[in-house]
Amino acid sequence: MSCSMGFHSRLTSSSRIPSFEFVSGSTAVSPPAVRCPGRRSHTSSSLKVGIKIKTCSRRIDSTRCFAALNPELKTTLDKVVTSHKVILFMKGTKDFPQCGFSNTVVQILRSANVPFETINILDNEMLRQGLKEYSQWPTFPQLYIDGEFFGGCDITVEAYKSGELQELLEKASLS
Amino acid sequence: MGVSKEQVESALRSKLSPSHIEVIDTSGGCGASFQVEIVSEEFEGKRLLERHRMVNGALVEEMKDIHALSITKALTPDQWKIKQQESATSQPPSTTTVA
Repeated sequence: MSCSMGFHSRLTSSSRIPSFEFVSGSTAVSPPAVRCPGRRSHTSSSLKVGIKIKTCSRRIDSTRCFAALNPELKTTLDKVVTSHKVILFMKGTKDFPQCGFSNTVVQILRSANVPFETINILDNEMLRQGLKEYSQWPTFPQLYIDGEFFGGCDITVEAYKSGELQELLEKASLS
Repeated sequence: MGVSKEQVESALRSKLSPSHIEVIDTSGGCGASFQVEIVSEEFEGKRLLERHRMVNGALVEEMKDIHALSITKALTPDQWKIKQQESATSQPPSTTTVA
């Protein structure tokens, strides 16, 4: 299972900061200060590999950024996936997944007891579109093991059930 | 915006000529989320990842409007037969005597 949130959901996710206000009587109570925990925990647990990608100069409304995968991004991704044994490109963070499918894979990796890194693709539209081309996979999450694309949620679940995933992860962590 | 179950099914039928296919609309009406079970000879000798790539490839157009696609089964006819036999035998024996 995997999802590729599209245009409308993008709108909601980009306007994640709630604009509502509770009005009780004459006092307007603004929502509490802690917002987007996803984003915050991402920065706190952020990766050593800085992904510096020039964001689309065009507005986000160019939903399908064609050729999002420029050579520069490709080189960066090559480095990112090969410098981590297990890396998951997901919606949200390890501690705050923002999609059920991403959450499923995080839970599987946790239970497999191997160190893994995650990258929140919701933080970078260019990265998100570029990765789809890079992996030739239309949805997220995307799991890479030992520098190789392993699969999305369905494949990971299947491999977990069969024991194949555990085997592969062990091999990866030993190599 | 959304895609219909029939569209997904016919795209898969025409591109992967499945011997069995079941598409379930899991979107609750908006047509943006589907579950697919597919059996095709074309999966023969291919790893699961490649099979999923084939399904994704067959749905390139539809995927533009689909947010979530879950491929629950991508089997060859032989695997499908085995699966069915398994599920038939794993079912509890029918109780012929009723107290």
